[in-house]
Amino acid sequence: MIEPKKFWWMIKKELISLKRHPARLVSILAFPIIMILLFGYGMGGEMTDLPIVVVSQSHGDLTDLTLDTIKSTETYHVVEVIDDLDEGKERVDNAEVKAAIILPSDYDDDSSHQKGVTLYLDSSDQMAAQILESSTQGIFYRLSNMVAAQTSVSTKDADIEPSISHSLNNFKDDISLHINRIYGNIKYIDFLVPAILGMTIMMSCMMGMGATIAGERETGELARLFMTPTSVSTVIGGKIAAKLLIELVRALILIFMAVLLFNVSIKGGFLQTFIVLVIGALCFVGFGIMLSARTQTQEDYAQISLPFSMPMMFVSGVFYPIETMPWILQKLAYIFPLTYLNDAMRGVMLKGQTLGDVWFDLVILLGFTVLFFIVGVKRFNRDV
Amino acid sequence: MKNAIETKNLTKIYNNNFTAVNSLNLEIPNKTIFGMLGPNGAGKTTTIKMLTCLIQPTSGQAVVGGYDVQKNPDEVRKLLGMVPQQVSLYKDLTVMENSQLCADYYGVPVEERDSRIEDLMELVDIKYAKDKRVGQLSGGQKQKASLVASLVHKPDILFLDEPTIGLDPTTKRTLWDLIRELNDDGHTIVLCSHDMHEVDMLCDNVGIINTGNLVAYDTPQGLKDALLESNKQEFSEALSTISNENEDSMQVNDDFSNLSLKKMSILLKEQDEAIIDSIKRSSDVKSIEIARNGRINLRIDGFDDMAVQNVLNKIISSGGIIKSIYTEEPSLEDVFIKSTSKVSEDDRA
Repeated sequence: MIEPKKFWWMIKKELISLKRHPARLVSILAFPIIMILLFGYGMGGEMTDLPIVVVSQSHGDLTDLTLDTIKSTETYHVVEVIDDLDEGKERVDNAEVKAAIILPSDYDDDSSHQKGVTLYLDSSDQMAAQILESSTQGIFYRLSNMVAAQTSVSTKDADIEPSISHSLNNFKDDISLHINRIYGNIKYIDFLVPAILGMTIMMSCMMGMGATIAGERETGELARLFMTPTSVSTVIGGKIAAKLLIELVRALILIFMAVLLFNVSIKGGFLQTFIVLVIGALCFVGFGIMLSARTQTQEDYAQISLPFSMPMMFVSGVFYPIETMPWILQKLAYIFPLTYLNDAMRGVMLKGQTLGDVWFDLVILLGFTVLFFIVGVKRFNRDV
Repeated sequence: MKNAIETKNLTKIYNNNFTAVNSLNLEIPNKTIFGMLGPNGAGKTTTIKMLTCLIQPTSGQAVVGGYDVQKNPDEVRKLLGMVPQQVSLYKDLTVMENSQLCADYYGVPVEERDSRIEDLMELVDIKYAKDKRVGQLSGGQKQKASLVASLVHKPDILFLDEPTIGLDPTTKRTLWDLIRELNDDGHTIVLCSHDMHEVDMLCDNVGIINTGNLVAYDTPQGLKDALLESNKQEFSEALSTISNENEDSMQVNDDFSNLSLKKMSILLKEQDEAIIDSIKRSSDVKSIEIARNGRINLRIDGFDDMAVQNVLNKIISSGGIIKSIYTEEPSLEDVFIKSTSKVSEDDRA
């Protein structure tokens, strides 16, 4: 049975400690901001201003239009427009630029049915290469539409390794593709932020809770409490409540910063997002309690928790969709609670789903929570 | 209730089959100060953990304040106070806040709580620091704060684990006075300490635990007297063997009834480097010190008569004539070493 007065003391004690340690308070508040900044700007931003050269061997309206379009596209930073093909390739080979867009001499020739444009690409930078490839394809698709049927753009492959030449021909198709984005134009940062919120809550709950329990066990503070006529559930419950309170403040800051810095939209509403985060926080606090139930020192706890927290970070679909991972990691992902938290968070924040829509994720999370608490309290003993 | 604490065949075997406490039978009379001694790893901490309901015994029974620790742990907890060796108060809370937290955890009525804390603070002289955070206090102040937090619920039985370790002599004496006062007020006190002088001075009864067993139990004086008696007998046997072999070669000036074998001070009729060297080479001699007045102060390693006999034989065989022998009365430390080393030897055998 939980005794409210004793329960409240644990919360009060944590709040007093925070009040008397401004540095700790700042750290608690700054941690989510740093996390969101690091991941948001470091991993979630779009690639722009990639340096390229344009090798223009033709002159005319289409060439001018093409150059203007390329220059006005944010993806590129056109270092120079040159007419020497070899120089263009050399600058890519020397890593001065990421790519060379080569417009052939017959590019402006109306009688030419095939216009071979070559994208000479540094494929060693996979991320940049992908962006440049898709962006360039997009530009020439639009251009080919603009000049209509008389302009056929053809490509030829470059024969110098390790460059990649891509055919950009036959843009003008008879098939018209219409893209209907059912959740709107979602950028990578939009995909990332809900999971970053989940991951931050996971890390701080697991680390914080375990460190508190193991730390107090190490310094004997827990022993003093357990020598009093107080149930284990009151002591641990009080600590959970205190931790949860702090984590909820963090969650609020996280959401606020995500909206402020990255203009992330919360389609399912703030309250629902908050509730999902609270359930996630409870689950990971339980995980921390379970792991710390028998650990004697903070160092022990750090060693024990690392094999759980690290794989969870990378396998639970925070950075990449789970479906793109090898099958063994996909299977592994579904035994980690963070996977379900991420799924629910994305459902609510990106798709505008309600708690009812993400009920499966929430039930699994609550199931994990109950399991962790039962195992944790059962394993917990007064022997400190 | 005659005894504050009683154990019957109390045993604790940990999961790795290590027997930390082995059929311990112990009685601590009510309102006395009991000294619990034992080397590191002897089973003291495990015993205290069982008595304070932190761990369950594997078998046997422990009754504290009339309650069985397994059947009524919460009743037992209400009766206990504990001052651990490591001050375990929250460092970020003040002395007052820590005491209030403890009082609330023990269920002290709110209307009595603060006045009771203030009284205790006055008693241990820490009231001046009541609003200071525990992390800012000195070692002695922390121990006093710990005492207040441990006494706030008026426990019948108080466990003190190395309460004066690391304290300066003045603070140590203040705490000793306080322990006596608490005992005068009717608290039963269980004192775990490695400071033999402290235990000798404060305790009514002393129990020595080694390898999970109670190997000695008596008043401090009773333990010392028993050792003296044992030593006297051993020494007499050793001496008679030597005297029979070389009766004219030694004179003993001291009263044999005061002899102990632990520390010997020998004065030779004529000091000779060869004799000193032969004593130094003896494997039975732990240390040797030549005093300014010529006395040879020895610490004999072990209490068996053969060790003494060997040392005296060395002196005599080197041509030495013993003019006098002084010995020191056994201390509680001697009792401790003899009690714990004997069991260790038995264990090895």
